[in-house]
This record gives sequence, C-alpha cells and structure tokens, in this order.
Amino acid sequence: MISALVASDFATPHVDYHALAPEIVLGVGICLLIVLDLFLAESRKWLVSTVAGLILLGAVLPVVTLGVIGSDVRSMFDGRYVIDNFSLVLKALFLLSGYVVVLMSSRDTEERTPYQGEYYTLLLTSIMGMVMMASARDLVSVFVALEFLSIPAYMLAAWRKRDSKSNEAGMKYFLLGVFASAVMLYGMSLLYGVTGSTRLVDIGQAVTGTDHLVGVQVLGIVFVIVGFAFKVSAVPFHTWAPDVYQGAPTPITAFLSVASKAAGFVALSLLVFLAFPAAKSVYEPFLWVLAAVTITVGNLLALKQKNIVRMLAYSSVSQGGFILMPLAVAGTGDARTSLRAVVVYLIIYAATNLGAFAVVMAVSRKTHSGEIASYGGLFNYAPGLAAVMTLFLASLAGIPPFGGWYAKFGAFKAVLEARTGAAYTLAVIAAVNTVVSAAYYITLMREMWMKPAPDGDESPVRVPRNLVAALVITGVATLAFGVLPGFSGYGAITGLAGAFGR
Amino acid sequence: MSQFLREYLTVFWFAVLALLLAGLLLGISALVRPNKPTAQKLLAYESGVDPIGDGWSQSQVRYYFFALLFVIFDVEAVFIFPWATQLERYGTFGLVEMGIFVFVLLLGLVYAWRKGALRWV
Repeated sequence: MISALVASDFATPHVDYHALAPEIVLGVGICLLIVLDLFLAESRKWLVSTVAGLILLGAVLPVVTLGVIGSDVRSMFDGRYVIDNFSLVLKALFLLSGYVVVLMSSRDTEERTPYQGEYYTLLLTSIMGMVMMASARDLVSVFVALEFLSIPAYMLAAWRKRDSKSNEAGMKYFLLGVFASAVMLYGMSLLYGVTGSTRLVDIGQAVTGTDHLVGVQVLGIVFVIVGFAFKVSAVPFHTWAPDVYQGAPTPITAFLSVASKAAGFVALSLLVFLAFPAAKSVYEPFLWVLAAVTITVGNLLALKQKNIVRMLAYSSVSQGGFILMPLAVAGTGDARTSLRAVVVYLIIYAATNLGAFAVVMAVSRKTHSGEIASYGGLFNYAPGLAAVMTLFLASLAGIPPFGGWYAKFGAFKAVLEARTGAAYTLAVIAAVNTVVSAAYYITLMREMWMKPAPDGDESPVRVPRNLVAALVITGVATLAFGVLPGFSGYGAITGLAGAFGR
Repeated sequence: MSQFLREYLTVFWFAVLALLLAGLLLGISALVRPNKPTAQKLLAYESGVDPIGDGWSQSQVRYYFFALLFVIFDVEAVFIFPWATQLERYGTFGLVEMGIFVFVLLLGLVYAWRKGALRWV
C-alpha cells in the first residue's frame, strides 16, 4: 500500500479558482485581519469590525457570480470537494448570517472586550469552516470542516474572560464537542473499514444496512449521527446548549444557535442523502426518535424558563427537531422534497432567530437583564422593538403569514408525503408541539404588550445603527419568506436547494 | 479461525512470550536473592536526589507560551520533511502550497511576537 503510494506519480490536482473564490477571499481576509489588528493603533480598532463585514460580503460576491453563471456542478479532488447549487445556497446563508453576527457584535465587543482582532479572526475562521462544510463530500473533508468551525467557536463561547458563566460555557462546549468528535471519528473509522472509501458517494454504494457486517454498519451510522446530533443539540445530546447559550456573549449565542447548528444539519443531510441512502432502515427510526424527542423535550423545557436566552435556547433545540423531521423520512418519502424542506427551514430559521437575538441585545442595553419579566412595558417605551420581536416570535411559533410558517409547512409536507404510519405519527407529535410552543412565545408577547414596565422606567431604548441594520435585514427576510413564498428569486433559491451534485 | 484472526496470532504469541520471560526473570531473582530490607536501601539510588517539598509543585506559566510556540515549528517540520523528500515530484504546485502553509504559520509567529509572547518578562 505505502510502496504503491510512493511509486505513483503525483499529478497536480485541478483547482477551479472561481469555485474556490469564497474560501480564498475568506482565507486571505483572515490573514489580513490578523495583520491589521497587530499594526493598528488602539483608537482605530473599530476598523477591524468594518473590514470583517466587508470580507464576508466580498466572499458572497463569488457565490453570487457562481450562481448566476450556471447550474453546472464544479467538482474538485476526485469529487471530494463539490460546488453545486446546494452548497452555493448554504454558503450564501453562512456568509450572510455571519455578516449579521458581525453587525450585532461590533457594538457589543467594543463595550465588553478589548480583543477585537482575535474575536473577528476567530469568527471568520469558524464561518470559513461552515463554507467548507457546504462543499465537503468526503468523510475527511467533512471532519476537517467540522473542526475548523468548532474550535474557534469553543473559544468564542468563553469570550467574556472575567465572567464565570462564560468560562463555564466555553468549557462545557469544548468538552462535549470534543467528546462528540471522538464518537463521530470512531463511527467514521468503522464506515471506512466497511466500505474501503472515504468518499460519501462510494460509502453510499457500499453501505446497505442489510448484507454481511451489518452490525458494524449500524454502529458506524449511529455513531456518526450521534456526533452530529451533539452539534445540532438534538435531545438527548442537548444538555450543553442552554448553559452555553446563556454564558456566551449574545452575538456568539446567536451565531451558535443559527450558523453552527445549520452546519451540523448540512453535514447530517450530506450523510443521509449521499452516504446512507440505502441504509434507511437504520437511520430512519433513529432520526425519527431523535426528532420526536427533540421537539417535545425542547418545548416542555422552554415552557418553564424565566430567562429569555435560556427560553430561546430550548426553543432552538425544539426547532432543531423540526429540521430533523424531513431527514427522518428522507428514504421513504421524496428525497428532493425532504432536502428542500431542510434547507428552506435553515434559511428562514436563521433569519428569524438572529433577529430575535438582536432584539434581546437591544433591550438588554437598557434593562441589563435577561429575565422575561423585564420585557414588561416594552411596547410603551420601544414600540418598534416590540413589534419586530412579535414578528420574530410569531415566525418561530409558525403563525402565518411569517417565514416560520412556510418553513414548518415544508417540513410537514415532506413528512406527510412519506405516507407511512410512522411518518403520520411524527406529524401528529410535531403538530401538537407547534401548539404547545405557541404558549411560551405568546407569554413573552403578552409581557411586552400588556404588562407595565417592572421598574416603571419608560425612557426610550437607544438602539445603535449596526443593530438596526441587523434587525432590518433579518426582519425583511423573515417577512418576505412568509408573505411571498412564490416570488421569483425565492423560488429559484428553493429550487436550487433541492439537488446535490456529485 | 479466520485469516484476520490468524494474522493477529503472532501478536498473541509475542504477548505470551513477553509475559513468560518477564515473569521467569523476576521470579528466579525473587527466589534466589536474600531479602534484608533496611531504611538505607529505600533511599534514592546513586544519581537520585532526595525529594524536597510537596508533590504539588508549581512551574512557571511562562513556559506554556514557549511550548505553544514550539508547536508551531514542530507542526511545520512534520509537514515539511516529507514534502522536501519529494520536492521534484510535487513541482511548482507543491512549492506554492508549502509557501502558503509556511506563510500562515509565520503569521502566527508574527502575532506572538507583536503581542510580546517572545519576551521573557
């Protein structure tokens, strides 16, 4: 084996620079940020956040040109790194939600932490890992992308150095993340042992879930899924989520609950649709249980929360269950519908959840509290914020005509199209939970609209411009996806999302 | 017995042999040698020094930075050596790739230098 490797002639791999342009822009940008931070005077450090935002927008540009030029699949390194429509849509999602996080942080970090350069460098590094994840079509590149996006996130979670809660967040996230990586690696090594290849497509042909070595196959599949279930905080692997979300700086919480989670779902979809399509008898029941338990437990725990960030944390756990739902019927139902439902849900959920966290940040500038009770009287002194927050909460609850409704509609549609008893049961469980979830979203709405301010202080909130921009972007996206699900650009996006290139 | 297990049989026999040999040598010496323990014999032998203070000793936290910096160069070496042996084969492509790799690591060093991690305060 080794002698064969040495003897074979090295062929320069074909590199498609246009297809790699988003990654190249990000990579060069990260190097630039480090240097900029080192040689910039303390009084001009604000430049760093501006440059970080520009780099992200600069990386969106090639994604757009690639999308406009055509739908041909660009494959590199023997199909181990593929740029297709699915990956383009998700790259745009990761970069834009990263941009919103930069908008949200530029005020927050200036006030709370002196390490601006490192903060944005790590944030961009993590986003680069996600962008790589969207294109990875090989166990090794999936794993490298996963570590690329996780390791900076561990540090970012612990960013408030002097705050013991933030330290706890970083530590918990790190330990559980590493544990999940270890489990996943073990699963990957088993899969490689069974199939003799690390390419997802090859694994998809070899893993059937029926023939000999079926026990090893099942172990491999389950371990890999468990690894990513940690990443997407599916119950019972969710225990880190509320503590980490509460302790981390709020923009990072938004980032983790949206982008990092989306990256986990991207990896899960890659595995389910490319690596395990023939093994649906193995992954479907497993994901079915995960989805049902995640939705239910997330909701029940969210009902009891008194802190808004913890409530949003459990709500995001439960939303993750809805995204797992189409994956749980990916084999029996229509694969394209399921994949499209996952991607659409990720996009809409990203806009909505980022927006909700932006409002939380804006309000906490005045109240300095995360308690749900502190939202009393918000409508009286900040009607705009209350209205926008209502929009986001209604979208999360799935009330028409906001984006979340359309996302949930897609997920239910995918499940119902599977036409099996298990699928119908899952749909019923999810439907009941949708009603339950409305309870805690509406509790917060009632607090904002009907209760008086708890301390009687009704001076208006000063919302910085960056935060306003973030709110406008996420608010418009949330509204547009719900009101105009048929408008042409959006239809094109969802159409694009429905297929993998090989 | 499958072929797979048969190949591991060698490993098994080696393990048995190692255990036997070690047990035999220690066992014989235990039987043969006289046993007269004294306090003197329990002291550190020849080159050893009597331990002073707690087992929970502290070391300079500053060494930690140097350990991290060492990792930068260590990783660099791990990748450069195998690359250097096949330099001609990889050609210009390999050279550019390695240039990028070394540049990124150098950036780390520049960062450490500007932040004052190289100064012994």
